[in-house]
Amino acid sequence: MSQAVLRADNLTKIYKSADKQLTVLDHVSFSVAQGDSLSIIGPSGSGKTTLLGLCAGLDTPSSGTIALMGFKLNAMSEDDRAYMRNQYVGFVFQNFQLLGTLTALENVMVPLELRGERNVMPKAKELLERVGLADRMDHYPSQLSGGEQQRVAMARAFITDPKILFADEPTGNLDEENAQHITELLFGMNREQHTTLVLVTHNLELAQKTQRIIRMKGGKLVEEIHREPVL
Amino acid sequence: MIEYIIKLKRNTKSIFKDRWVWVMAWRDARHNFSRLFLFAASLITGIAAVVALDSVNHALKDDIDRNAKELIGADLVVNGSKKFEGETRAAFDSTRLQQAGEADMASMVLFLNNNESRLIRLVALEGEFPFYGTIETQPADAYQKIKTGRFAMLDESLASQYEVSSDDSIRVGDVVFKVAGVVTKIPGGGGIMTTFTPSVYISMSELDSTGLVQYGSRVNYKQYFKTTSEKQATEALEKLKPTLKKFGHSFETVQGRKEGLGEGFLSIYRFFSLLAFVALILGCIGVASSVHIYAREKREEVAVLRCVGSSGWQAFNIYFIQIFILGIIGSFIGSILGIGIQQVIPFFLKGIIPFEIGFGISWSSLLLGLILGTIISVLFSILPLVSVRFVPPLTVLRAESEATNVISKTRIAAIILIALFPIVFATIQTRSLVTGVFFFLGLAAALSFLTGVALILLYAVRRFFPSGAGFILRHSLASLYRPNNQTRVLLVTIGLGAFIISTLNIVEQSMLSQVEFTGQENQSNTILFDIQPSQKEGVVKLMEANKLEVKQVVPIITCRLSEVKGKAINQLQRDTINKTENWALTREYRVTYRDSLTHSEELTKGELHHRKVGKDSVWVTISEGMEENLDVTVGDSLVFDIQGVALKAFISGIRKVDWPKDPPNFIFVFPTGVLEEAPQIFVTATRIDDKQIANQFQQQLVMQFPNVSLIDLRLILSTVNSLFDKLGLVIRFLAMFSIITGLVVLAGAVINSKFVRIKENVLLRTIGARTAQITKITLIEYAWLGLFSALTGMILSMGGGWLLTTFFFKITFAFDWLELLIIGTGVVVLTVAIGWFNSREVISTPPLQVLRKEN
Repeated sequence: MSQAVLRADNLTKIYKSADKQLTVLDHVSFSVAQGDSLSIIGPSGSGKTTLLGLCAGLDTPSSGTIALMGFKLNAMSEDDRAYMRNQYVGFVFQNFQLLGTLTALENVMVPLELRGERNVMPKAKELLERVGLADRMDHYPSQLSGGEQQRVAMARAFITDPKILFADEPTGNLDEENAQHITELLFGMNREQHTTLVLVTHNLELAQKTQRIIRMKGGKLVEEIHREPVL
Repeated sequence: MIEYIIKLKRNTKSIFKDRWVWVMAWRDARHNFSRLFLFAASLITGIAAVVALDSVNHALKDDIDRNAKELIGADLVVNGSKKFEGETRAAFDSTRLQQAGEADMASMVLFLNNNESRLIRLVALEGEFPFYGTIETQPADAYQKIKTGRFAMLDESLASQYEVSSDDSIRVGDVVFKVAGVVTKIPGGGGIMTTFTPSVYISMSELDSTGLVQYGSRVNYKQYFKTTSEKQATEALEKLKPTLKKFGHSFETVQGRKEGLGEGFLSIYRFFSLLAFVALILGCIGVASSVHIYAREKREEVAVLRCVGSSGWQAFNIYFIQIFILGIIGSFIGSILGIGIQQVIPFFLKGIIPFEIGFGISWSSLLLGLILGTIISVLFSILPLVSVRFVPPLTVLRAESEATNVISKTRIAAIILIALFPIVFATIQTRSLVTGVFFFLGLAAALSFLTGVALILLYAVRRFFPSGAGFILRHSLASLYRPNNQTRVLLVTIGLGAFIISTLNIVEQSMLSQVEFTGQENQSNTILFDIQPSQKEGVVKLMEANKLEVKQVVPIITCRLSEVKGKAINQLQRDTINKTENWALTREYRVTYRDSLTHSEELTKGELHHRKVGKDSVWVTISEGMEENLDVTVGDSLVFDIQGVALKAFISGIRKVDWPKDPPNFIFVFPTGVLEEAPQIFVTATRIDDKQIANQFQQQLVMQFPNVSLIDLRLILSTVNSLFDKLGLVIRFLAMFSIITGLVVLAGAVINSKFVRIKENVLLRTIGARTAQITKITLIEYAWLGLFSALTGMILSMGGGWLLTTFFFKITFAFDWLELLIIGTGVVVLTVAIGWFNSREVISTPPLQVLRKEN
């Protein structure tokens, strides 16, 4: 078995309010190996998005540990985790999360520029061509359709050749045709770059395209299915 | 066991070396400048105000320094209330300096071209006055002409008011003078005093022939000296001092005039500094509030950047760079604008100060604006912007994710520096730490009070929300609580502007009410003074002939003090630990005698002591305040020198005098039966309502009793009115800075909340609201905002106005509801207009277009 890119041990997340506390994640453990694809499914409020946020270092658990690329995220500062994401992680979000003041091309270039790399434009252009947006590079997000915005987000996610890609309902805001296109791109690029994929979705059809499925319910991991992906 | 890597090796770059943050700052800002409009506008307005007012202060100071000699007209001036004769004259001559003389007194003038008359200041000149500066006249030879005989020059305002031109004639006292020309400029003349008492100039050699200088006439004599150096002036002064002290004369040097003017203008500097301070602080509030909104709007973008690997500092730096650069640009524009405005302010000050303020660029003010603007843009943006550093990346998944309340060093440092800033700025502006701290405390109190009133009003709206009212009214009120609506900031900033203007109005009304008693029935509005005993009967007859009621004929005796509490005046003058004011010891007093109090008096201590028999001691009452100057109290003795006759008196009581009410009022009042035989003059008062009768009476008075002067209180009232018109214009112009800043904050807040409003309006339209309804909701919302701001400002101005009138001006608090209502309405209309102007797009854009734009 190849080395684990992501390892979660006994992850628990509790939100405290004035007089009560809410356990949204309850002792969840799992790991993902390099190149694997994993779907996290479950009903609303089951803790899927919280789990994704913790795995990507966007939040810290109340207890338990997360290791990403062997780095223990709990022990890191917020800025170290950000640096870590820049080096190893890609993101695709349901609501695209493009920077509205940047063009499509500039949005794609941002992660590499953040690393301090120069001459990143050719690679960004290449990726935008790859996602079929060669003629929309200078458009701002507000001038693009939802499907096009998600394709820009994909190009941005893959420009750093991430070791692991986190996708939160990547087709949730798209029509069937665009969803199909994005799904093909996501898995296609995943294969090409041998990227690990962690996907949160309600869409069982999409989930079935991954090698493993984790089912969450009431903050607990209730089922883990290993299967041959249907592509 | 699992091995983890604990520490990550991460390269951190400083803001200067991190190219990415500069690139991102530019990319983010290029289509985003409108979002920073509020920031730039607040900064520009604040800086423009500071630079304009600071450079006016500089110009005033420079002009005082430059004009001091011209304003005094000589190197040294001696002032006295008695003609310089004998020992004094000998002392003057012993200085061997070039001299010129002047005598001035109040007198009536009759304009023979139209038979109108009025009270003027008669100035008699002698010698080659002025030694510095020039007397500018029209025609140019007028000054030379008056030296040749019975010619007179008139102040320009007087000549134009009574349509007098060269070759017309005027009568002053017993003499008819031909008008030689008008005076357009004279050292020591001009300014606001000219408005009250315009002058007529004649030659000193003609003064006696007018017959005006009689017993009891108040003539001010001046002797001007020209020296070759400051040292010579000091030496001459040292030589003259013993004589001057002996006869109670005062003196003035160029340096003294400079300092005097400086002190006189200190209140103007302070007022300007206060206005600048208020405008700047409002600007700072605008800057902080705009950056706060900006930072909130950037939360999602920051979260995305954090997701893709940006550090908290990098995200902070992107927006900090934008603010910093825009701050420098804004400071520059504000400074240039301030210099431009400074060129306009002298126009408003014309006629108020006795010299013209030069037009020019004050480089130090310009530099101050640039530095100050940069400091403000950094200081007041750090606190709201620092929250960017702590935006949780989780916000991309859950928009409602809140940053933990991090107490960072940057935040603490910013809070401390922000608290120190107003004190330091006010201290530098006023050059006094105490004043600076008072400015700060005053502002903090005003802002706290404004905020308090604003909160109470907002609470009251919530508490008594008109649930049963129509949809439009309810929705417009509810909009005041919209997130990012900046309602509180707007109430405070616009309220502060309304406060300044209303307070000014209240002070103005209070002052006017002091002289407006002339409008009340049965109150005297005309005073006749300098009536000689031989003229008393004739004047009364003349008044009766004109069917004028003779209220009272008050005797006036002039005297001086020769002893206080058993000590001679020269003994007290020598006594270094003596607390008595020298001017109070040496001045000439005008006293009267009667056995009762007038309507304007109130006995606060002691009693009224009637003289019972001839040998009884003489008991006098003294006015409140004067007993402190003379360091005396009830029971103390005084010796008066009444035309060479010594009269010992004891203080029996202290009177509180409402000086402007029912004139004339007196410092010392003797009982009857003491001074009846002393040389005296009389004053009387009457009420004249008909202007024609007033003119006719004045004309007859001047013809029959040329030395009797008449004060028309209606004229004073109209002069005070015009004075306030002038001063009010300046103050309103400057107070506009804070109003403008408030409106800029309003405009910015409207622009910044535009996107929230668009969503709301689209929703309202979708469910069937018509444009007219949406427009009404918007306009009513701004009307509420304007109304609450006006109310907030006015409630505070009532308190502020009362404090100012009671403790500073020491006058009765008064206000005019109607004028306050007009001011309040103005604030509401302006707020609605600005709000509507900036909301046009929000109101008129079709929903689909907005939805597309939003996406």
